[in-house]
Amino acid sequence: MDDSGISTEISHDEFDPIGTLALIALYFVVLTLMWLFTYFVEFVGNAPTPTVLL
Amino acid sequence: MNIHAYERLWLVASMVLIVGFIVTITYGTVGLGITMVDDREETISPDDVDEDDRFQDPRVEQVGENEFEAYVVSMTFLFQPDPIEIPANNEVTFYVTSRDVIHSFTVVGTNTNTMVIPGEVSAMTVEFDEPGEYGVVCNEYCGPGHHDMEGSLIVHPEDEYSLTELSVDAPDQVGPGEDVELTISIQNGLLEDLETTVDVEVGDETLEQDVTVPGGETEQVSVTVDGDDLEPGDAEWSASVDDEVETGTVTIGDDADDGGDEP
Repeated sequence: MDDSGISTEISHDEFDPIGTLALIALYFVVLTLMWLFTYFVEFVGNAPTPTVLL
Repeated sequence: MNIHAYERLWLVASMVLIVGFIVTITYGTVGLGITMVDDREETISPDDVDEDDRFQDPRVEQVGENEFEAYVVSMTFLFQPDPIEIPANNEVTFYVTSRDVIHSFTVVGTNTNTMVIPGEVSAMTVEFDEPGEYGVVCNEYCGPGHHDMEGSLIVHPEDEYSLTELSVDAPDQVGPGEDVELTISIQNGLLEDLETTVDVEVGDETLEQDVTVPGGETEQVSVTVDGDDLEPGDAEWSASVDDEVETGTVTIGDDADDGGDEP
Protein backbone atom coordinates (compact mmCIF):
# COMPACT_ATOMS: atom_id res chain seq x y z
CA MET A 1 0.00 0.00 0.00
CA ASP A 2 2.77 2.47 0.77
CA ASP A 3 4.38 1.71 -2.56
CA SER A 4 1.47 3.17 -4.51
CA GLY A 5 1.72 6.57 -2.77
CA ILE A 6 -2.03 6.61 -2.12
CA SER A 7 -2.86 7.59 1.44
CA THR A 8 -6.67 7.61 1.29
CA GLU A 9 -8.97 6.33 -1.35
CA ILE A 10 -12.35 8.05 -1.76
CA SER A 11 -15.27 7.36 -4.04
CA HIS A 12 -16.37 9.59 -6.92
CA ASP A 13 -19.02 11.46 -4.92
CA GLU A 14 -16.86 11.93 -1.86
CA PHE A 15 -14.56 14.23 -3.87
CA ASP A 16 -15.63 17.65 -2.60
CA PRO A 17 -13.74 20.63 -4.15
CA ILE A 18 -15.52 23.36 -2.19
CA GLY A 19 -13.14 26.08 -3.44
CA THR A 20 -13.94 25.25 -7.08
CA LEU A 21 -17.65 25.30 -6.26
CA ALA A 22 -17.26 28.74 -4.70
CA LEU A 23 -15.42 29.99 -7.81
CA ILE A 24 -18.02 28.76 -10.27
CA ALA A 25 -20.80 30.16 -8.09
CA LEU A 26 -19.06 33.51 -8.14
CA TYR A 27 -18.62 33.23 -11.91
CA PHE A 28 -22.34 32.54 -12.24
CA VAL A 29 -23.26 35.59 -10.17
CA VAL A 30 -20.91 37.80 -12.22
CA LEU A 31 -22.43 36.53 -15.48
CA THR A 32 -25.97 37.19 -14.24
CA LEU A 33 -25.14 40.70 -13.05
CA MET A 34 -23.33 41.54 -16.28
CA TRP A 35 -26.30 40.37 -18.32
CA LEU A 36 -28.76 42.41 -16.21
CA PHE A 37 -26.52 45.47 -16.49
CA THR A 38 -26.07 45.10 -20.25
CA TYR A 39 -29.77 44.64 -20.95
CA PHE A 40 -31.58 46.79 -18.38
CA VAL A 41 -29.08 49.60 -17.87
CA GLU A 42 -27.05 49.92 -21.06
CA PHE A 43 -29.75 48.90 -23.54
CA VAL A 44 -33.18 49.69 -22.06
CA GLY A 45 -31.70 52.70 -20.23
CA ASN A 46 -30.74 54.36 -23.52
CA ALA A 47 -34.28 55.53 -24.19
CA PRO A 48 -35.99 56.11 -26.50
CA THR A 49 -35.94 52.74 -28.18
CA PRO A 50 -37.95 52.04 -31.33
CA THR A 51 -41.16 50.35 -30.23
CA VAL A 52 -44.27 48.92 -31.78
CA LEU A 53 -47.38 50.92 -31.07
CA LEU A 54 -48.79 49.27 -27.98
CA MET B 1 -22.74 7.66 -16.52
CA ASN B 2 -21.44 9.08 -13.30
CA ILE B 3 -21.61 12.87 -13.20
CA HIS B 4 -20.35 14.64 -10.12
CA ALA B 5 -22.95 16.60 -8.12
CA TYR B 6 -21.17 19.95 -8.64
CA GLU B 7 -20.90 19.38 -12.35
CA ARG B 8 -24.61 18.63 -12.50
CA LEU B 9 -25.23 21.86 -10.57
CA TRP B 10 -23.22 23.88 -13.11
CA LEU B 11 -25.03 22.25 -16.03
CA VAL B 12 -28.39 23.16 -14.51
CA ALA B 13 -27.21 26.69 -13.71
CA SER B 14 -26.08 27.27 -17.30
CA MET B 15 -29.47 26.10 -18.55
CA VAL B 16 -31.14 28.56 -16.15
CA LEU B 17 -28.88 31.31 -17.54
CA ILE B 18 -29.88 30.54 -21.16
CA VAL B 19 -33.57 30.48 -20.21
CA GLY B 20 -33.02 33.78 -18.36
CA PHE B 21 -31.55 35.37 -21.51
CA ILE B 22 -34.55 34.27 -23.54
CA VAL B 23 -36.98 35.49 -20.86
CA THR B 24 -35.42 38.99 -20.77
CA ILE B 25 -35.52 39.34 -24.57
CA THR B 26 -39.14 38.15 -24.58
CA TYR B 27 -39.98 40.63 -21.82
CA GLY B 28 -38.38 43.43 -23.86
CA THR B 29 -40.42 42.52 -26.93
CA VAL B 30 -43.76 41.73 -25.29
CA GLY B 31 -43.63 43.85 -22.13
CA LEU B 32 -41.76 46.93 -23.33
CA GLY B 33 -42.73 46.65 -27.00
CA ILE B 34 -39.16 46.95 -28.27
CA THR B 35 -39.01 46.21 -31.96
CA MET B 36 -36.38 45.74 -34.62
CA VAL B 37 -36.17 47.98 -37.67
CA ASP B 38 -37.08 45.73 -40.59
CA ASP B 39 -37.89 45.90 -44.28
CA ARG B 40 -41.67 46.14 -43.92
CA GLU B 41 -41.72 49.47 -45.75
CA GLU B 42 -42.12 49.52 -49.54
CA THR B 43 -38.89 49.89 -51.45
CA ILE B 44 -38.10 53.11 -53.27
CA SER B 45 -35.63 53.70 -56.08
CA PRO B 46 -32.88 56.03 -54.87
CA ASP B 47 -33.28 57.97 -58.14
CA ASP B 48 -36.93 58.66 -57.36
CA VAL B 49 -36.43 60.07 -53.86
CA ASP B 50 -37.12 63.56 -55.22
CA GLU B 51 -40.45 62.48 -56.69
CA ASP B 52 -41.69 60.75 -53.57
CA ASP B 53 -44.36 62.66 -51.63
CA ARG B 54 -42.61 61.94 -48.37
CA PHE B 55 -39.05 62.69 -49.34
CA GLN B 56 -39.19 65.44 -51.95
CA ASP B 57 -39.60 67.87 -49.09
CA PRO B 58 -37.98 66.30 -46.00
CA ARG B 59 -40.00 67.51 -43.02
CA VAL B 60 -41.91 66.78 -39.85
CA GLU B 61 -45.66 66.42 -40.13
CA GLN B 62 -48.46 65.92 -37.63
CA VAL B 63 -50.59 62.94 -38.60
CA GLY B 64 -52.80 62.53 -35.55
CA GLU B 65 -53.25 63.62 -31.98
CA ASN B 66 -49.84 63.11 -30.37
CA GLU B 67 -48.59 61.45 -33.56
CA PHE B 68 -45.97 62.87 -35.85
CA GLU B 69 -44.02 61.63 -38.84
CA ALA B 70 -40.56 62.77 -39.80
CA TYR B 71 -39.30 62.17 -43.33
CA VAL B 72 -35.53 62.22 -43.42
CA VAL B 73 -33.20 61.90 -46.41
CA SER B 74 -29.57 61.06 -45.87
CA MET B 75 -26.89 61.58 -48.44
CA THR B 76 -23.15 62.18 -48.58
CA PHE B 77 -22.56 63.91 -46.18
CA LEU B 78 -25.66 65.34 -44.53
CA PHE B 79 -29.14 64.68 -43.26
CA GLN B 80 -32.24 66.60 -44.37
CA PRO B 81 -33.97 68.31 -42.68
CA ASP B 82 -31.33 69.74 -40.37
CA PRO B 83 -32.24 70.30 -37.62
CA ILE B 84 -35.14 67.92 -37.25
CA GLU B 85 -37.57 69.47 -34.76
CA ILE B 86 -40.03 67.30 -32.89
CA PRO B 87 -42.16 67.63 -29.77
CA ALA B 88 -41.48 65.69 -26.55
CA ASN B 89 -43.98 63.11 -25.25
CA ASN B 90 -45.42 62.44 -28.69
CA GLU B 91 -45.04 59.39 -30.90
CA VAL B 92 -42.73 60.25 -33.75
CA THR B 93 -42.20 57.84 -36.62
CA PHE B 94 -38.99 58.45 -38.53
CA TYR B 95 -38.90 57.37 -42.16
CA VAL B 96 -35.33 57.47 -43.35
CA THR B 97 -33.97 56.73 -46.79
CA SER B 98 -30.73 57.29 -48.64
CA ARG B 99 -30.09 58.88 -52.02
CA ASP B 100 -26.70 57.35 -52.63
CA VAL B 101 -24.83 54.89 -50.43
CA ILE B 102 -25.41 53.08 -47.16
CA HIS B 103 -25.57 55.41 -44.18
CA SER B 104 -26.95 55.16 -40.70
CA PHE B 105 -29.27 57.39 -38.73
CA THR B 106 -28.09 57.32 -35.14
CA VAL B 107 -29.44 59.63 -32.48
CA VAL B 108 -26.43 59.74 -30.16
CA GLY B 109 -26.95 58.28 -26.70
CA THR B 110 -30.23 56.57 -27.55
CA ASN B 111 -31.37 53.34 -29.16
CA THR B 112 -32.92 55.37 -31.97
CA ASN B 113 -30.54 53.96 -34.49
CA THR B 114 -30.95 52.37 -37.88
CA MET B 115 -29.04 51.52 -40.98
CA VAL B 116 -30.13 53.55 -44.00
CA ILE B 117 -29.95 51.61 -47.23
CA PRO B 118 -30.54 53.12 -50.68
CA GLY B 119 -33.78 51.66 -52.00
CA GLU B 120 -35.15 50.90 -48.55
CA VAL B 121 -37.10 53.03 -46.11
CA SER B 122 -36.21 52.48 -42.46
CA ALA B 123 -39.14 53.22 -40.16
CA MET B 124 -38.89 53.59 -36.39
CA THR B 125 -41.43 54.87 -33.92
CA VAL B 126 -40.04 56.53 -30.81
CA GLU B 127 -41.18 58.85 -28.09
CA PHE B 128 -38.71 61.32 -26.59
CA ASP B 129 -39.52 62.25 -22.99
CA GLU B 130 -36.62 64.62 -22.48
CA PRO B 131 -36.57 67.91 -24.39
CA GLY B 132 -33.14 68.91 -25.57
CA GLU B 133 -30.79 68.84 -28.49
CA TYR B 134 -29.50 65.49 -29.67
CA GLY B 135 -26.79 64.83 -32.22
CA VAL B 136 -27.46 62.66 -35.25
CA VAL B 137 -24.51 60.87 -36.80
CA CYS B 138 -23.80 58.37 -39.53
CA ASN B 139 -22.02 55.28 -38.27
CA GLU B 140 -21.63 53.43 -41.56
CA TYR B 141 -18.50 54.49 -43.41
CA CYS B 142 -19.91 56.32 -46.45
CA GLY B 143 -16.99 58.19 -48.00
CA PRO B 144 -14.24 60.72 -47.34
CA GLY B 145 -16.63 63.13 -45.55
CA HIS B 146 -18.12 60.45 -43.31
CA HIS B 147 -16.62 61.92 -40.15
CA ASP B 148 -18.34 65.25 -40.89
CA MET B 149 -21.74 63.73 -41.55
CA GLU B 150 -23.92 64.95 -38.74
CA GLY B 151 -27.30 66.46 -38.14
CA SER B 152 -29.24 67.50 -35.12
CA LEU B 153 -32.52 66.60 -33.55
CA ILE B 154 -34.20 69.20 -31.38
CA VAL B 155 -36.86 67.92 -29.02
CA HIS B 156 -39.07 70.80 -27.93
CA PRO B 157 -41.25 70.77 -24.82
CA GLU B 158 -44.70 69.71 -25.95
CA ASP B 159 -46.39 73.05 -25.21
CA GLU B 160 -43.72 75.09 -27.02
CA TYR B 161 -43.81 73.09 -30.22
CA SER B 162 -45.15 74.63 -33.39
CA LEU B 163 -45.02 73.88 -37.09
CA THR B 164 -45.57 77.47 -38.14
CA GLU B 165 -44.18 78.78 -41.39
CA LEU B 166 -44.10 82.36 -42.37
CA SER B 167 -43.82 84.00 -45.75
CA VAL B 168 -44.14 87.68 -46.48
CA ASP B 169 -45.04 89.47 -49.66
CA ALA B 170 -43.70 93.01 -49.48
CA PRO B 171 -43.05 95.66 -52.09
CA ASP B 172 -39.42 96.48 -52.91
CA GLN B 173 -40.25 100.10 -53.52
CA VAL B 174 -43.10 102.53 -52.96
CA GLY B 175 -43.53 106.12 -54.06
CA PRO B 176 -43.08 108.98 -51.57
CA GLY B 177 -45.99 109.15 -49.13
CA GLU B 178 -47.46 105.85 -50.38
CA ASP B 179 -48.64 103.21 -47.92
CA VAL B 180 -46.51 100.11 -47.42
CA GLU B 181 -48.61 96.96 -47.46
CA LEU B 182 -47.21 93.66 -46.25
CA THR B 183 -49.09 90.43 -46.92
CA ILE B 184 -48.10 87.83 -44.38
CA SER B 185 -48.96 84.17 -44.92
CA ILE B 186 -48.94 82.05 -41.79
CA GLN B 187 -49.02 78.32 -42.31
CA ASN B 188 -50.02 76.20 -39.33
CA GLY B 189 -48.71 72.65 -39.71
CA LEU B 190 -50.30 71.40 -36.50
CA LEU B 191 -53.80 69.95 -36.36
CA GLU B 192 -54.80 72.31 -33.56
CA ASP B 193 -55.75 75.92 -34.19
CA LEU B 194 -52.99 78.46 -33.70
CA GLU B 195 -53.88 81.63 -31.87
CA THR B 196 -51.09 84.10 -32.10
CA THR B 197 -50.03 87.65 -32.78
CA VAL B 198 -48.25 88.99 -35.82
CA ASP B 199 -45.72 91.70 -35.00
CA VAL B 200 -44.78 93.94 -37.88
CA GLU B 201 -42.10 96.56 -37.89
CA VAL B 202 -41.47 98.94 -40.79
CA GLY B 203 -38.86 101.59 -40.14
CA ASP B 204 -39.80 102.99 -36.74
CA GLU B 205 -43.45 101.97 -36.99
CA THR B 206 -44.66 98.88 -35.14
CA LEU B 207 -47.99 97.16 -35.55
CA GLU B 208 -49.60 94.15 -33.96
CA GLN B 209 -52.41 91.99 -35.21
CA ASP B 210 -54.05 88.99 -33.61
CA VAL B 211 -54.69 86.05 -35.86
CA THR B 212 -56.17 82.56 -35.57
CA VAL B 213 -54.94 79.99 -38.06
CA PRO B 214 -57.00 76.80 -38.24
CA GLY B 215 -55.09 73.51 -38.04
CA GLY B 216 -53.36 72.50 -41.26
CA GLU B 217 -54.25 75.72 -43.03
CA THR B 218 -52.70 78.97 -44.15
CA GLU B 219 -54.04 82.35 -43.17
CA GLN B 220 -53.14 85.64 -44.81
CA VAL B 221 -52.85 88.87 -42.91
CA SER B 222 -52.44 92.24 -44.55
CA VAL B 223 -50.77 95.01 -42.63
CA THR B 224 -50.64 98.53 -43.98
CA VAL B 225 -48.28 101.19 -42.70
CA ASP B 226 -49.20 104.75 -43.48
CA GLY B 227 -46.70 106.21 -45.93
CA ASP B 228 -46.79 109.60 -44.19
CA ASP B 229 -45.29 108.04 -41.07
CA LEU B 230 -42.24 106.76 -42.91
CA GLU B 231 -39.05 108.59 -43.70
CA PRO B 232 -37.91 108.51 -47.34
CA GLY B 233 -35.03 106.17 -48.09
CA ASP B 234 -34.49 102.50 -47.27
CA ALA B 235 -36.63 101.14 -44.45
CA GLU B 236 -36.04 97.79 -42.81
CA TRP B 237 -39.13 95.71 -42.24
CA SER B 238 -39.67 92.59 -40.21
CA ALA B 239 -42.65 90.37 -39.54
CA SER B 240 -42.66 87.84 -36.74
CA VAL B 241 -44.98 85.17 -35.44
CA ASP B 242 -43.82 83.32 -32.34
CA ASP B 243 -40.19 82.41 -33.12
CA GLU B 244 -40.45 82.82 -36.89
CA VAL B 245 -39.08 86.05 -38.31
CA GLU B 246 -38.94 87.36 -41.87
CA THR B 247 -37.08 90.54 -42.74
CA GLY B 248 -36.44 92.72 -45.76
CA THR B 249 -35.99 96.24 -47.02
CA VAL B 250 -38.38 98.58 -48.77
CA THR B 251 -37.26 101.72 -50.57
CA ILE B 252 -39.50 104.70 -49.96
CA GLY B 253 -39.39 107.46 -52.53
CA ASP B 254 -38.16 107.56 -56.11
CA ASP B 255 -35.08 105.74 -57.27
CA ALA B 256 -33.55 109.03 -58.28
CA ASP B 257 -33.77 110.36 -54.71
CA ASP B 258 -31.40 107.87 -53.19
CA GLY B 259 -29.46 106.99 -56.33
CA GLY B 260 -27.32 109.42 -58.19
CA ASP B 261 -24.51 107.04 -59.09
CA GLU B 262 -26.58 105.31 -61.72
CA PRO B 263 -25.16 105.40 -65.23
